[in-house]
Amino acid sequence: MSSEIAFPSPQHRRHGSSAGQPLTRRDGVLKVTGRATYAADNHPEGMLYAVTAVSSIARGRVTALDVEAAKAHPGVVEVLTPANRPPLSHDPDDKIPPFGFRVEVLQDDTVRYVNQPIALVIAETLEAATEGAALLNPQYEVESARTGLENGERFDTPAVGVGAPSRTAYGDIDAGLAAAVRVTEADYVTPPQYHNAMEPHAVVAQWDGDRVTLDMPNQALALSCAAYAAYFGIPAGNVLIRSPFLGGGFGSKAILNGPQILAILAARMLDRPVKLALTRAQMYGPVGHRGQTWQKLRLGTDGEGRLTALHHHVLAATSSFDEFMEPAANASLPLYASPAILAEHDGLRLDTGTPGPMRAPGEASGSAVLEVAMDEAAIACGMDPLEFRLANYAETEPGTGKPFSSKSLRECYAEGAKRFGWSGRPLEPRRMRDENGFLVGWGMGTAVFHCPHFPAEARATLRADGTALVETAGADMGQGAWTALAQIAAEALGLDPDQVELHSGISSLPDGGIAGGSGHTASAGLALHNAGVDAIARLAELATADPASPLFGAGNIGVEARSGRLHRRDDEGRSESYSEILARAGQAEVVGTAKAARDPAVAEAHALFSHGAVFAEVKVDPDLGQVRVTRLVGAFAAGRIINPRLVRSQYFGGMIWGISFALQEEAVTDRRTGRIMNADLAEYHVPVNADVPSLDAILIPEDDPYVNPLGVKGVGEIGITGTVGAIANAVWHATGVRVRHFPIRLEDLLVNQRDVTSAFGN
Amino acid sequence: MIRYAKPKNVDEALALLSDGPWRILAGGTDFYPALGNRPLSENVLDINGLSELRGIAEVGSHIVVGARTTWTDIIRRDLPAAFDGLKLAAREVGSVQIQNRASIAGNLCNASPAADGVPPLLTLGAEVELRSASLTRHLPLEDFILGNRRTALQPGEMVTAIRIPKSATAGTSAFVKLGARRYLVISIAMAAARIVVEDGIVAEAAVAVGSCSLVAKRLTGLEAALRGLPIGPALAETVAATSLPELAPIDDVRGTAEYRREAAREIVTRAVLAASGHHPLTKVAA
Repeated sequence: MSSEIAFPSPQHRRHGSSAGQPLTRRDGVLKVTGRATYAADNHPEGMLYAVTAVSSIARGRVTALDVEAAKAHPGVVEVLTPANRPPLSHDPDDKIPPFGFRVEVLQDDTVRYVNQPIALVIAETLEAATEGAALLNPQYEVESARTGLENGERFDTPAVGVGAPSRTAYGDIDAGLAAAVRVTEADYVTPPQYHNAMEPHAVVAQWDGDRVTLDMPNQALALSCAAYAAYFGIPAGNVLIRSPFLGGGFGSKAILNGPQILAILAARMLDRPVKLALTRAQMYGPVGHRGQTWQKLRLGTDGEGRLTALHHHVLAATSSFDEFMEPAANASLPLYASPAILAEHDGLRLDTGTPGPMRAPGEASGSAVLEVAMDEAAIACGMDPLEFRLANYAETEPGTGKPFSSKSLRECYAEGAKRFGWSGRPLEPRRMRDENGFLVGWGMGTAVFHCPHFPAEARATLRADGTALVETAGADMGQGAWTALAQIAAEALGLDPDQVELHSGISSLPDGGIAGGSGHTASAGLALHNAGVDAIARLAELATADPASPLFGAGNIGVEARSGRLHRRDDEGRSESYSEILARAGQAEVVGTAKAARDPAVAEAHALFSHGAVFAEVKVDPDLGQVRVTRLVGAFAAGRIINPRLVRSQYFGGMIWGISFALQEEAVTDRRTGRIMNADLAEYHVPVNADVPSLDAILIPEDDPYVNPLGVKGVGEIGITGTVGAIANAVWHATGVRVRHFPIRLEDLLVNQRDVTSAFGN
Repeated sequence: MIRYAKPKNVDEALALLSDGPWRILAGGTDFYPALGNRPLSENVLDINGLSELRGIAEVGSHIVVGARTTWTDIIRRDLPAAFDGLKLAAREVGSVQIQNRASIAGNLCNASPAADGVPPLLTLGAEVELRSASLTRHLPLEDFILGNRRTALQPGEMVTAIRIPKSATAGTSAFVKLGARRYLVISIAMAAARIVVEDGIVAEAAVAVGSCSLVAKRLTGLEAALRGLPIGPALAETVAATSLPELAPIDDVRGTAEYRREAAREIVTRAVLAASGHHPLTKVAA
């Protein structure tokens, strides 16, 4: 693993000293010494424990619960069932925009999936609540579980993901396919995957009259406050969410779920604090997952290997009662130039919990398949996979023709290929072996991710001692947000990051937007930047209007904030420290505030994406089918890099997730019952350290003057895209076996090459 | 109300065992996961105070491994090359933390078809020492593990040692684990082999496979076929050509039966070759 830090970058020089530094995490010491207080670590006095009783069937009705037995158990305080569940002010079968989901909060006796809450037991101890839940001994009226293509219910869906159109067409796809010299067509399957954040979903709820304090891991504080307020019929300002630390979220902690709502309800009903923490197994159901997809790709190419048509058709699974589905086909929209592109989705209803956004929703599963299909098309054209992608390089956004706000994908390809040593790659598969006889293969994929921007607010307070406090209700899921955000604020304030205290993760602070969509640094960061600029402007007003200041009268010329001092712009020698200015003005502090959002005109005029290229080497045991990813090189261009250490870590995390997607992760459903057979971390595999090879993430310098005033794009999710396809393509190159479903399993390469059933006919 | 007892010596433990039913708690690495969320419903006999049951000693004609001996103890102990396979297996039981806690007898009493310790112990001709207040008996390991989660342990008995006859400690052994990731993985299949070579000829062969039948099995037909063969390509050819009726794998989350059947033969080949000092494909591990 490379440890060198490629900086200072041009951006770093342009933007001064605070940003661009590879600082370590501000919260790192707290976390490694166990002093970071996670939600479930909070134990207010008088706290009760709640445990959900969950369904063991996938569809049907609960016909009986032995509430008496549960209540008779020593320590059990109350049992919530549909019969006695207090009313909620919002209908749980009605969604709250923009990201609301339908939730199961004991509104009736129906069962819609395995692990759905069917009762909540509240007790003086966790043990009593757990035993109480076991004593409920539910009886069911069971209906058959719909678990796959053969028995799921198909439907037309108007939208995919979070409000994206389910069908997008550019040009004439049939004409494009008709004009093609060859058409590469294949079906692929991606499995259901579960977020499995290390920290389970938890809440400690404490009511005070009509105000409630919620200690819970949360990626979307302001939206969640509004949603809880709706459920409990109180103003959003009466909901205080404290979420200073999260042990991972990956999208699953941005959305309300039934168990947490029930625990909060129980706390109000019993007028005592209530804590609930899901078990690992209970996280396979009510808290989202990446839904299964069946995908068909049709790529038309001309005699020179240029795309004439790109048709990406996805059947995406969702639950029986809600709509979220992977917008996987949309991964084909922004990447490769083609006169005709059609991305379309159909829905398939299964008896599962509702899928939700999971790190790179849509892009991960769509890119995995698109990049394999591109590899297959390149081979069909007799071209090197990189050469083929370059032949189809999109200079402007395909379909819309919009210019990219910045795009350095060519540089990513070039640098990645160089570092990896791609140029020596034989076109044919099964041509390389290592000294131990393992088959060696090289594959590549393109990475792309969009750049959303969420409205956010922030406050910056310059204090009499020359330090600052900056505040925004952001979320650090482990990605290092505290650190990067403080760096941005410090830069705007002309202070060293050590002089800037950051308060975040509490909903009473200015709205920091959502930690999602890889947009947190840009969104909350811009608000902090603007608040810092505002504070400095107010400080400058004090100084330039004060005849006793060396900066007096510099109002028109302007001042610069640097190292805790304001300097007259045209005369470096005339300056004054923040403390001196405040002291003379008799003020304890000066406060700057800001709201920040994307300029709609910029988004209208530009296509906004991060890009990258990933190169993979695998070694395959020819007799056992074991695949080892031995090298991964990613080169990514994501605008200005605030903290290269943390960004590299994000890329590594994404690339490791790519290994996981390609080779390991899959929730396996028992078709008879709809139960997940591997709902634990022993059998739901994610890579262990020994599975992770040498990783290299190259930061390609990129200056983006449009995406936002900071020039910051997203880095949190792009690492998965590209990587999955690169590994799958490397497996083909090693073995000559094209596996079209994920994960690629050992037996696929040896004895059991599973055919992929087309969801669309042939 | 259940009982909890932590005896200080084996006699005290056996006296308690004669007194009623107990669940024995040793390293706890299978005990607690099996318990899940349920409260304890059986009496618990905690044998972690029985220091006499931990350690490896030569006693007469046997090498005796105390029941509480951990996998880490085995890894760190200087032992003949015939134990190399057992040491390799010890490194594959859970994680290092598990290996520090988990006991060898626990691995046998848990009777999982995927227990990594069983195939190498089978190749060492291991027998299980069972003691009750009134009786000590020695059962061949094959006769101790009866099926998935089933053993020959009688009421009042506990496993006190694993005994390996010195006659079975000749030669060199190897262990090959096949898993879907590199570490912390339940085996798809595993193979152990112990080979005694005399004058370039296989004088003795002991081969066992796990995770491909309800109970790990010695491959006696293959062992007979290997005996007398010269070290070299004939070994692999013989593994390829010999039927392995002992294997009866199933389809599960970890792998298909068909794959297991094919892969088991391959890892048996590798274990046999490695045990005989031949390493055609070296980097094979979980």
